[in-house]
Amino acid sequence: MMMRRLVARAVLSAILLSGTAMSVQAAGTLKVSVDSNLNTLDPAKMKGGQEYVAAYLIFNGLTIIGHDMTVKPDLAERWEHSDDLKTWTFHLRKGVKFHNGRDLEAEDVVATIARIQDKATGSTARVNFEIVESMKALDTATVQFQLKSPYAGFAELFGERQARIVPRDAVDTLATKPVGTGPFEFVSFAPGDRVVLKRNANYFEPGLPKLDEVVVRILPESAAQVAALTTGELDLVWNLPLEAIEKVKADTKLKIDSVPTSTWDGVIMNNTVKPFDDPRVRKAVAMALDKQTITQIALFGNGTPTHSPIPPSHPFFNKDLKIAKGDPAGAKKLLAEAGYPNGFEVTLHTPAGRATRERLGLAVRELLKPAGITVNVQRVPFDVFLKDIEGKAGFYIDGFFSRPTIDTSVYPWYHSRGSWNTALWSYSNPKMDTLLDGARQAKSEDEAKSLYTQVQALAVEDSPGVIPYVINHINGLNAKVKGFQSHPMMFLDLRNVSVD
Amino acid sequence: MFAYFLTRLASLALILVVMSVLIFLVTQAMPGDVASMIAGQFASKEVVDAIAVKLGLDQPLIVQYGRWAAGILQGDLGRSLVLEQPIGPILMEALARSLVLAVVALVVVAVVGIALGVLAAVRRGKLTDQMVSGISYLGIAVPDFFWAIVLVLIFGSYLKLLPTGGYTPISEGFLPWAAHLVLPVVTLVLMLLARIARLTRSSMIDVLQTNYVKFARAKGMPESVVILRHALKNALLPTITVLAIDFGLILGGVVVIETIFSYPGMGRLLLFAIQRHDLPLIQATILIVSAAYCLANLTADLLYAFVNPKIRHGMRAS
Amino acid sequence: MTDATSIRPAPRRLRMSALPGSLIVGIVLLAPLVVAAVAGSWLAPYPYDEMNILSRLQPPGPDFWFGTDEFGRDVFSRTLVGTGSSLLMGVAATALSLLAGVPLGLVAGYKGGRVGEAIMRAMDVLMSFPPILLGILVLAVTPPAQWKAIAAIGIVYVPQVVRLTRAITLELMQEEFITAAHLRGESATYILFKEILPNIWPPLAVEASLRVVFAILLGASLSFIGMGAQPPSSDWGLMISEARPFVEQAPWIALCPGFALAIAVIGINLLGDGLRALLDPRNMGAH
Repeated sequence: MMMRRLVARAVLSAILLSGTAMSVQAAGTLKVSVDSNLNTLDPAKMKGGQEYVAAYLIFNGLTIIGHDMTVKPDLAERWEHSDDLKTWTFHLRKGVKFHNGRDLEAEDVVATIARIQDKATGSTARVNFEIVESMKALDTATVQFQLKSPYAGFAELFGERQARIVPRDAVDTLATKPVGTGPFEFVSFAPGDRVVLKRNANYFEPGLPKLDEVVVRILPESAAQVAALTTGELDLVWNLPLEAIEKVKADTKLKIDSVPTSTWDGVIMNNTVKPFDDPRVRKAVAMALDKQTITQIALFGNGTPTHSPIPPSHPFFNKDLKIAKGDPAGAKKLLAEAGYPNGFEVTLHTPAGRATRERLGLAVRELLKPAGITVNVQRVPFDVFLKDIEGKAGFYIDGFFSRPTIDTSVYPWYHSRGSWNTALWSYSNPKMDTLLDGARQAKSEDEAKSLYTQVQALAVEDSPGVIPYVINHINGLNAKVKGFQSHPMMFLDLRNVSVD
Repeated sequence: MFAYFLTRLASLALILVVMSVLIFLVTQAMPGDVASMIAGQFASKEVVDAIAVKLGLDQPLIVQYGRWAAGILQGDLGRSLVLEQPIGPILMEALARSLVLAVVALVVVAVVGIALGVLAAVRRGKLTDQMVSGISYLGIAVPDFFWAIVLVLIFGSYLKLLPTGGYTPISEGFLPWAAHLVLPVVTLVLMLLARIARLTRSSMIDVLQTNYVKFARAKGMPESVVILRHALKNALLPTITVLAIDFGLILGGVVVIETIFSYPGMGRLLLFAIQRHDLPLIQATILIVSAAYCLANLTADLLYAFVNPKIRHGMRAS
Repeated sequence: MTDATSIRPAPRRLRMSALPGSLIVGIVLLAPLVVAAVAGSWLAPYPYDEMNILSRLQPPGPDFWFGTDEFGRDVFSRTLVGTGSSLLMGVAATALSLLAGVPLGLVAGYKGGRVGEAIMRAMDVLMSFPPILLGILVLAVTPPAQWKAIAAIGIVYVPQVVRLTRAITLELMQEEFITAAHLRGESATYILFKEILPNIWPPLAVEASLRVVFAILLGASLSFIGMGAQPPSSDWGLMISEARPFVEQAPWIALCPGFALAIAVIGINLLGDGLRALLDPRNMGAH
């Protein structure tokens, strides 16, 4: 009896202690968590950030969007385009092998893009490649695209999440047994639990990756993520929830790494609906909103105030333009000029369950009060929001994830024929259209930069809506993780990472 | 007894068939059809239709059911639309993990619940008895998910003793594996402990009053022998029956528990399938869990029949 | 199967000691909740959905007795107003299962034969699903809403009501006063509604009081996994679910509705114990 009790106690304390004992693990293994299950490992069919995490570890694109948000060579070592920007030729890096041992060939690139273009694949990247008129492999290492219209940002499209180059002879098993050229090779996937990857010994960048193994754990509960990070069961929490940041900061063994993205929330004003059809009213709203305070309230400070979806971290950001500090008196004056000396009352719709956007709505209500605008915040379920509010109501909060290029981040919202412009605020200014069209055909970085600087100035001047901030992408990690840098596109770049 | 067993088995098979029809019909009525889920938000109608044809969603219902049922009889649970792989292996892996939770929880409930029940019965009316019933009440007064949150708060956040979510395969070591089970198991145990403790207590009290026990005491046997050897053996029969039913309850209860503890079992698989409108996965998961539940109930009935002579001698249960 | 055991004639032991204590304590615990359920919106110091972003995640204090949540909503007011939603779910679902189950049970018990057999086999099928899975199966069909959750829970508990009603009806049919009514040539409707129904209520009331507890807990569970009450409702299950990310920073958001739920469950359990002692001549046994 006594013996049994002793054994029971020993087992119990062993179990209790193992929470801390678990930090002992194989050298060079990184355990990282994502917050939701992965539907598929087939890059063409991916839709969620947690899936892109796997995509960037296993695959490569022709190009890659760098940490500075500019396009860099990846599988293509260089590329050139014709003067009319309609013929693009990519030269593949030599000696790149797929994980199954076969050499990468230009035909694989053609097959990958053809598969994305095929409607039956159902890839969200299909619209991106509608611009392609024809493509062909000139030889095993050269691929050429013929575009329907000139497009300066074509190389960036290959940095897009779904446009990972896949082996043309293994496309049917990508969802469960992905084969790529990336730094890590697929080992196993247990849905709802984990994805296990191992080092690709033949990876084309010399000396990389440094890790032997990556385990991607699927842990939806933020409390569980942080607890696991604290006990050392996890080395890295990808996309750390905002509410967990303070906790991680307080722990000396842990650290936070963050970077501004071009994911943004915005105050949408329908430019065709009273009173927002008057640019002075829109300008007044924009003036009254202190973007720093808004960032504090909506994101607990984990964002960066901006003018437009172009993030302050990007070389094209207009640094000469001042971020709105909140000027209720000036706003009041403008409102009086527009015929609202006593302000007005308006309903603001926010999508329920999207926490940052809900808090943004509440911040707008508080900050517009001193300017004389009474805002009634109304929360609507997300499906109702998509059906009845987005693109239909006069005043609401919406938000969008970052796009891979400056053109795809700005054009759809500000060009009078842009897809989201017509759906959201119906803003139209011929000057803006000229700038955006010009930027698409810009021959040099400098030319593009100058044009986008003017776009941002005009966006603030006309204020079709207010984009108060871009959201920071935050990762929580153990201090023993070395060489990690958060990526503005929320990709998980582990090539240079090692664990002590 | 054997005839009774056969009847029960036959009715179980019939029930499973009706259940499968019901599950199939109800899930077919789900809104937001699968094809457009797969095609994505901005897909045109022709893309959606192309996917629907590819998946056989354009066939008449009866054909779809026939194909599904025939597959299951051959051990083929179909393919997950979203995960694009056969459901069988995924489901079995998830079921195995959930069963681990359920079995461990059941064993703990049995051991602790019976011990508490016996203790309460022996010390009937005394402080121990009242404490046991107080603890039992506490267990059922609060829903399992609330207990789960409290446990996460205490053992994960404040004491940092135990992992509060996820799962580690046993291949990575016994302790990490076991550590991940502790909190979900304790939560399940708290939910079921009260019933077992109370049941054991009342049947133990009944047994302690029988002549059989009085006789044993009169023979001068030590009290511990009387209780553990003689009384307990007889008092346990109803408890064992209820334990079998509880096993089914645990299987249902894991849906909530697994969500909180990010435990990759059947429950989370089902919620995942529902969120993604993955029809074949929903159908297969509900069918398999319900079948397991039915089996547990059948076991309970058979145990009951075994200990109850009225039924053992050929009478019907209801 | 469990019901079959409880219907077995058991020694008539009236537990007088249980009568006053549990009933009174149950009522004392439940009375404030009933008041809150009826008049919560008037009693609450703040509107349940009023957000005050500048005072979010405040700990309990003089302004906010039980603190505020991540939107600066008053947790006390929300819990108070949520009483209605949370209790309603249990009570309405139980009422629904009685409404559907009692007539079916009466018919199955009185008519017997093929109709009775058909009803009972249908109930067997429903009972073959684990309760929460049956709820999920019903709810997975359409976008979630609270009334659908109530309907789902109602359906889950119909078989129990049918079985109990049928068992009691069968027992009553053996009683002399029913045989006498038959001999008098009374109609089936008369016997069912005037003779049998009034005698079914006491055990059903006991059963119902137990069911309400299960229904409240099941409702809270469904709200918790997002298939019951929808935001911005302050249903307790939903409140606890939404409080999860903040449980460490601001445990009061989850604890307040959790304690309310505990009080409700204990109160109704005690009330049920009291009712059992008061109304049911049979000893239902511990199950």
